[in-house]
Amino acid sequence: MKPMKFGFVLGTTLLLLLPLVLSQSLLNAAIQMLIAALFACAFNLLCGQGGMLSFGHAAYFGVGAFATLHAMKAMGGVGLLPTPLLPLAGAVAGLAFGMIAGWFATKRSGTYFAMITLALAELLHALAPHLKSLFGGESGVSAMRMPAWGMSFGNSTQLYYLTLIWVLASLGLLYLFTHTPVGRLTVGLRENSHRLRFLGYDVHRLSVLVFAVSAMFSGIAGGLQAVSNESANYVVFESHLSAVVVLNTYIGGVSVFLGPALGAALMTFFGYAVSDLSRSWLLYQGVLFVLVMMFLPTGLIGLISWWNNSKAQYGFVRLLPVAILWLFAVLLLTVSSVFLVELLQRMFSLDYRALASVNPVAPWPAITLFARPWFPGVATTWLPPILIFFTGCWAVRLARGRWQALLDNADVDASLSETAGDGVKS
Amino acid sequence: MSASKFIRPVVVACTALLLVSVTLAAPLKVAVIEALSGPQASTGLSYRNATRYAIDRLNTAGGWNGEKIDLIEYDNQGGPTGAADKLKAAIADGAQFIVSGSSSAVGGQLTDDIRKYNIRNPGKEVVLLNLGAEANELTGEKCHFHNFRFSSNAQIRIKALVGAMKKDGVIGTRVYSINQNYSWGQDTENAIVEYASVGGYKVVEKTLHDVNKIQDFSPYVSKIVAANVDTVITGNWSNDLLLLMKATKASGLKARFGTTFLDQPGNLANAGDAATGHYIAHLFNAEAGGKEGEQFAEDYKAKTGRYPAFIEGQAVQGMLMFGEALKSVKAQSNNLNVNAWALALENTKFKTPMGELRMRAADHQALVPVVVSVVSNDAKYKVDGTALGFKPIMVLTGEQAATPVPAACKMQRPTQTP
Amino acid sequence: MEYFIISLLNGAIYGLLLFMVSAGLTLIFGMMGVLNFSHASFYMLGAYFAYTLSPLIGFGMAMIGASLLVGSVGVMVERFFLRRVHNYGHAHELLLTFGLSFIIAELVKLFFGNFPIDYRIPVSLDFAAFRIGGADYPFYRLIMGGIAIAMFALIYLLLTLTRVGIVVRSAIYKPRMAEALGHNVPLVFMGVFGVGAALAGLAGAVAGAFYTTNPNMALELGVMVFVVVVVGGLGSLGGAMIASLLIGIITSICVGIDKSLADLFSLLGIGDWAQDIGGLLTLKLSSLASTIPFALMLLVLLVRPSGLMGEKEHL
Repeated sequence: MKPMKFGFVLGTTLLLLLPLVLSQSLLNAAIQMLIAALFACAFNLLCGQGGMLSFGHAAYFGVGAFATLHAMKAMGGVGLLPTPLLPLAGAVAGLAFGMIAGWFATKRSGTYFAMITLALAELLHALAPHLKSLFGGESGVSAMRMPAWGMSFGNSTQLYYLTLIWVLASLGLLYLFTHTPVGRLTVGLRENSHRLRFLGYDVHRLSVLVFAVSAMFSGIAGGLQAVSNESANYVVFESHLSAVVVLNTYIGGVSVFLGPALGAALMTFFGYAVSDLSRSWLLYQGVLFVLVMMFLPTGLIGLISWWNNSKAQYGFVRLLPVAILWLFAVLLLTVSSVFLVELLQRMFSLDYRALASVNPVAPWPAITLFARPWFPGVATTWLPPILIFFTGCWAVRLARGRWQALLDNADVDASLSETAGDGVKS
Repeated sequence: MSASKFIRPVVVACTALLLVSVTLAAPLKVAVIEALSGPQASTGLSYRNATRYAIDRLNTAGGWNGEKIDLIEYDNQGGPTGAADKLKAAIADGAQFIVSGSSSAVGGQLTDDIRKYNIRNPGKEVVLLNLGAEANELTGEKCHFHNFRFSSNAQIRIKALVGAMKKDGVIGTRVYSINQNYSWGQDTENAIVEYASVGGYKVVEKTLHDVNKIQDFSPYVSKIVAANVDTVITGNWSNDLLLLMKATKASGLKARFGTTFLDQPGNLANAGDAATGHYIAHLFNAEAGGKEGEQFAEDYKAKTGRYPAFIEGQAVQGMLMFGEALKSVKAQSNNLNVNAWALALENTKFKTPMGELRMRAADHQALVPVVVSVVSNDAKYKVDGTALGFKPIMVLTGEQAATPVPAACKMQRPTQTP
Repeated sequence: MEYFIISLLNGAIYGLLLFMVSAGLTLIFGMMGVLNFSHASFYMLGAYFAYTLSPLIGFGMAMIGASLLVGSVGVMVERFFLRRVHNYGHAHELLLTFGLSFIIAELVKLFFGNFPIDYRIPVSLDFAAFRIGGADYPFYRLIMGGIAIAMFALIYLLLTLTRVGIVVRSAIYKPRMAEALGHNVPLVFMGVFGVGAALAGLAGAVAGAFYTTNPNMALELGVMVFVVVVVGGLGSLGGAMIASLLIGIITSICVGIDKSLADLFSLLGIGDWAQDIGGLLTLKLSSLASTIPFALMLLVLLVRPSGLMGEKEHL
């Protein structure tokens, strides 16, 4: 318990000190990461703990955002809901809408449940542009964040602390929720809802409650984004956002409480950083996602627990070479495939093809990549990345071999010590 | 095991990388925030390319204050939320001018955010250069001093279009209006009705349909056929226009089309000969620019490999006008005072191959020349690898094309003159 | 009256197009329990492959070639990707196909660019079949409808009358039992996935020429296909046919109806009150034409979740 508590305190302190270290643009990224992390954890309550995969969770996020904006416009930073308390409006809206939607959705289970949530979100998305008074058409609703409680909320630092406090409080509440009897029952919903029914619980009412709580915290996340951006647009109801939260949650790992937060933070940062560096960043995101789904089914958190368990079982010294080999292999594969994709993307782009066709006889012009020119017509451009890629594949095989050897040796050791132990006993 | 432990090293490492790029220097920074990936990337990339070409030209001519102008690109990831994030990043990176144009939704978000930023940070204002978002409200109720639109709006386009079509004698007396059900489409529909007397026609029926959701336009074409019209006027773009035209061609409907976005790449290739005889009101046509137009088109082709298409011509002219206004602004303690630039822009008369470009001070809507062209085989510049191109039939000057200042625009001007 | 007939015809053909794409999806779901999010991407691939092959081997052969290519892509996806995650549960399979749809869309954009490409009907097929209501009815639409009906008939006969069909149906209904009886069920899965993908590819090759071919095709059609599959019943071919026809015809007819709920209320005498409230009540049916399928989907899910013709839900 102690190392966990220490880790928790350390993490919180670091988050509190972040504005002193980061530039303004990174601070903005951190705010978005925090909001995404809260949304993912709220979603995980329903999905990972309750076992109900919802495909339309963006609806509750969006409803929270719009409710907060209307409150912002109405209150002007004073009265019942001063600026720091605005996400409460999002919470209430998320709770209310979640209860209604959840009542319908939880009547079914499994894939049908997922389809109902998808249908609800799509219906809302289709109707929203027509309901101009509520959702403001395609320019959305916008308001202005007013100073309150002696702070102007005009710069990113204050906004960051506001978001941080809300996110930490919400995550804390979500965590406490899992320790309440209702929270334990949620896990029961996932494991065996049939049996719960026979134990006398009203499964439908329980599901609606869990759905509503999950929607409430999603609404808080939406409200935080509304406060941060001072506007919301009906595109927030698009299936894209619902898909992104599912992606983030599963990439992080559904079995650990903070897994989705990790996944969401990493993927948000990935999108933020890479989207300006490369035009093909969506491809990288898709590939990353597929790879995680295929090779790390328990998510990135699973990676951390693999490391810890293996360290305990095989010892740090024997584990290190395997880990380094894996890291090396991944690095080689990443570098070569990124290079190839970037080269191909530039080569097939309209601009380049137009430039090349200007003079059909001359060899294809150079493509500038990583500040060096590369000629697509020459083998020396293609051979190095392809070679590196195959080296990476070979490194993967090596790593696998070493890992298997480790497992085998451990078995041998175990059986040896057993027989030795028997020998001593007898 | 706390996840925060994991985030920290990643974030700190990346900080180190990114802090390097933050400089305190004097070079003027212009940020283009566009959809560079995702479904809307095609138009976003066009704006990016046009801006890059223009800034390169300004830099070759000397830049500003003896230094090159820095152009930084940001991907708004397809929507207003991404745009809001990247705006904060751009401002943090020191950009004083934000360029955008492909989406009215994004334009609306950016203009609001910039207005609020300017209120909170007097003395460090940021300006929005809107190169193409044409919703009326951007120079209407959302207008503010640090927002400039270099392209047209629904009214300007429709007024020019119906005027030219009437002059050519093709508009007839019965017109069908079909548009997308959002701000741009509704603005266009209102404009079509408003200019009915100018065009000498009657709007027989008006339809608004869902944006980019409809695959099968044949029900709409059936309605058009039933209405028995001479002309169909539409502000549709992208798939909505293409599918509408394909459905029209398939049904053998003989009506003429008056459009605003027919020059989007891919439209003529896909519509083929069915597009011949249709009209478009747009802001740049190299053939209409005479010698200067030809020079510009050839230079653009030399630098990018293609002739300027779609919004690229107008976007480049807008950015060149931005550069023209820069020339008369002197640096104040090695920095640019954007208010001084804005006042200079209001007094700038910029000569483009289409005519003179001026910025109206009341709502910061440019008085931009409009060209009305018809799709024909005799056009000088062929499009999309087909034998068709846009042959200009009428050019209106900025003043001729202009529409009144919207009553909703209540612009507050800065009190101190720099 | 003529308008009604035209709407019916148009709606039916659009519905048949939806059927072509959703037939594969519903079969795959019925068999493997996997809701394949990348199915609409197969549709898009079919159009792009056909566009690439068309100048080389002619339009008709290109259609067949494209669908075979997409079918093999589907087989590879099943064999190398889906099989691996099969043990981790339905959610993982679903998310994997979702990631794949991203990858396919981005690869298409990488190689073919962001703008729509010039994939058109060959001139020989581009004429009018007949005139109705003052407009031509293109022959190609009838071809599209014909291909869809032929597809339906073929699959139905295959599934009910041939031995392979019986094995497939038993693998759908009780895979473990079929395996125990000695049938190579993984091979059957792979085959059905491949055939489903090939069907979607054929639909893309056929429809891409008539409508537009661009990298966002998958997104545009994708959600509608889900609606069809859900309304028709997950796993039921007949249900998919009925649902797609229903959705196609309803969408088509609604486009022409410029009335709203307020007009309905005015029949009852409270029209003015409804007009004043505005919002949802004054929305015209014609501008909601593409929203109605979702309302239908929601209704079906709540009242009869197994769809119009699906199996009763196993709890």
